[in-house]
Amino acid sequence: MSRRYDSRTTIFSPEGRLYQVEYALEAISHAGTSIGILAKDGIVLAAERKVTSKLLEQDTSAEKLYTINENMICAVAGLNSDASILVNYARVYSQDYLKLYNEEIPCEALVRRVCDLKQGYTQHGGLRPFGVSFIYAGWDPIYDFQLYQSNPSGNYGGWKATSVGANNATAQTLLKQDYKEDCTLQEAGELAMKVLSKTMDATTLTSEKVEFATVGKDKEGKVYCHLWKPAEIDVLLKKFGLAKKVEDEDDE
Amino acid sequence: MSDPSSINGGAIVAMVGKDCVAIACDMRLGMQALTVSNDFPKIYQYNNTFIGLAGLATDVLTLSEVFRYKVNMYNLREERDIEPETFANLVSSTLYEKRFGPYFVGPIVAGINSKTGKPYICGFDLIGCINFAKDFVVGGTTSHQLFGMCESLWEPDLEPEDLFETISQALMNAQDRDAMSGAGGLVYIITKDKIVKRLLKTRQD
Amino acid sequence: MDVILGITTANEVIVITSRAFVRGVSILKADDKDKTRILSPHTMMAFTGESGDTVQFAEFIQANIQLHEMRNAVELSPSAITSFLRNQLATSLRSRKPYNVNVLVAGYDEAKGKPELNWVDYLSAKVSVPYAAHGYAAYYTLSLLDRWHRTDLTLEEGLKVAEMCVAELKKRLPIDFKGVDIKVVDKDGIRTEKVIE
Repeated sequence: MSRRYDSRTTIFSPEGRLYQVEYALEAISHAGTSIGILAKDGIVLAAERKVTSKLLEQDTSAEKLYTINENMICAVAGLNSDASILVNYARVYSQDYLKLYNEEIPCEALVRRVCDLKQGYTQHGGLRPFGVSFIYAGWDPIYDFQLYQSNPSGNYGGWKATSVGANNATAQTLLKQDYKEDCTLQEAGELAMKVLSKTMDATTLTSEKVEFATVGKDKEGKVYCHLWKPAEIDVLLKKFGLAKKVEDEDDE
Repeated sequence: MSDPSSINGGAIVAMVGKDCVAIACDMRLGMQALTVSNDFPKIYQYNNTFIGLAGLATDVLTLSEVFRYKVNMYNLREERDIEPETFANLVSSTLYEKRFGPYFVGPIVAGINSKTGKPYICGFDLIGCINFAKDFVVGGTTSHQLFGMCESLWEPDLEPEDLFETISQALMNAQDRDAMSGAGGLVYIITKDKIVKRLLKTRQD
Repeated sequence: MDVILGITTANEVIVITSRAFVRGVSILKADDKDKTRILSPHTMMAFTGESGDTVQFAEFIQANIQLHEMRNAVELSPSAITSFLRNQLATSLRSRKPYNVNVLVAGYDEAKGKPELNWVDYLSAKVSVPYAAHGYAAYYTLSLLDRWHRTDLTLEEGLKVAEMCVAELKKRLPIDFKGVDIKVVDKDGIRTEKVIE
C-alpha cells in the first residue's frame, strides 16, 4: 500500500510523511560517520572512510571532507556522487558571491542556499532528493567560528558538536557526555578521534580509514582551513594513543 | 580619444632575468586627461602567477574578478596551484570567448614554473592572441615608450636586484613621456621561493 | 552640470550635491534634494548622469541592497555595496541600452572603523579615493582638494574645505547650481549637515 506514496517525492503519505526523504535519511545512516566539534579557537571535522576493498586505488584526495572556499569546509555522509554535485554547487555559489561583493560569503548564507536547493528536490516532482547530509565548519566576521548540519529535507541548524552517518546516535551520546563548552581545538580534535574510534567497527584507527580537518586561526590571526594529510593524521593518532600498537602486515 | 583602451591610461611591463622575472605597472587611473586616482595598481596575483592588466579600467576590474573566480575553482578542483603556462592559456581562452565584443585590455602574464623553475612571461592582444617572449613584454598606453626603454636597458641574465633596477628605470622613464600614465609605480620581483613587492615614488603630474 | 563631490575626513565622509535640477540650459527646480539615495544605515550614494537612468539605477541598487540585508540580517560594508553596484553597472554597460550614471558611494565601515569613499563612473571604473568629484565640478575642485585635503581632517576642517570648493564652483561654473546640500556619513549613520543656499 505504501507504494502509492513513496514512488514520488512530492506526495505526502496519509500519516503526513515524505517517504523518499525518510529513505534518503536511511541511506545516510549506513554511511561512514562524520563528526564536527566547535571549539573556542576553531572547529574540528573528522570522518570515517569506508575501505571497501584493498584492491581499490586509494585516492590521494579526500573522499568525505571538502574545501568549499577560503574559510569553509564540510564533511559529507551519504551518497558521494550526490555530494560532489552539491559541493560543486556550493563552491560555485561562493565564488559568485565573492565576485559580486568582493567579500567571502557569510557561512549561514551559503548553508541556506545549498539547503534551499535540497528542499527543492523534496517538492518539485519526478526526481529523488539528494541523499546527503553535511556538516559545515566555517568562519565569518559576523558569527566567528560556526558549525552547521544539514540533511536531505533541506533543514539545517547550528551545533556545538554533532555527528551524521552510521552510529550517529552513539556518537551523539558520547559527544553530549564529553563536550566541554570552552574546549580548545586540540581537545576537540582528541574528542573527535575518541568518539570516532568508538563508533567505528575497526578497533584501531589509521589514516586509511580516517579523514581529519581543522578550521582555526594562525599566529597572525588569519583564518585557515586545513585538510590533514595521511602522514599528519598518523602522527596525530599516535599522539592520542589511538593508532595501531603493533605493526601487523596482513591486518585488513 | 574615445578609443576605449586609452581612456583610463596605464603602463605595464614584464622582464625575464636569471632564474627570476619582474612585472611592473603604474598607479594612475584617469578619465581622459584628468587624473582621478594615484592608487590604482594594475597587477594581480593568483597563486604564484602574476597578471598585469592595462586598458579600460572597468575591464581591468572585471577580468581581475573573473580570473580570481576561475583560479579559485581550479585550485579547488585540481588541489594544486596554477602554473604560469596554464594561466596564460586560461587568460587567452577567457579573452577569446568575447571575440565579437571584447574586453579592452592588453594583459601581461609573468611567473616562474614551480616544477621546472623556468621563468615565464607573455603578453596578449585584446582577443587573447598570446605573444611569447624570451626577454620582455610591454602593454598599456605607454607601450611605445616602454618598448624603447626596454630595448636599450634590458640585457640577458640579470640578477634579481639588477632586474629590479632595470625594470624600474624602464617604467619610470617611459611613463614620464606619457601623459596618460604615471603617479607612482609598483614592481614585483619574482624568484622561485621569494616574491618582493616594491612601491616606486614618482612625480604626480 | 550637476555638482557631486565627496570628501573623507578622519571619521566621516562629507557628500556635497547641488540643489538645481537642470535640463539643457533651464533650471527646472531650485531645491532638488534628490541626487542621493540611502542604501543602508551607513552607506549612501550620490549620482549624476542621464536623468531617468540615474534615479532608476539608484533605486534599483537601493532595493537590492535592502533585500539582501533583509534576507541575511546583516548590514553590508560600503565596499561590498560598491562592488555590487559596480557589477550591476558593468553588466548594463554591455547591454543594448546601458545606464548612463556616474556615482559616488560614501560609507562608514563599522568593522574597520573607517570612512570610505568610492568613485564609480558610467563605464563602471571603480576606485576608492580620499576625495572625488564627477563632471565639471572635478576640474575646478580636485586641485583645491589636492592642496587642502588631509587624511586627519576634523569634521569642521572638512566642512571648511567643502565650502572653499563650493565657493570656487559658484565663481567658475557658468550656470547657477542653486547652492548645495551637505550630507555627512559617520559611525552614527547619515545626516544632512547643512544647506548652502
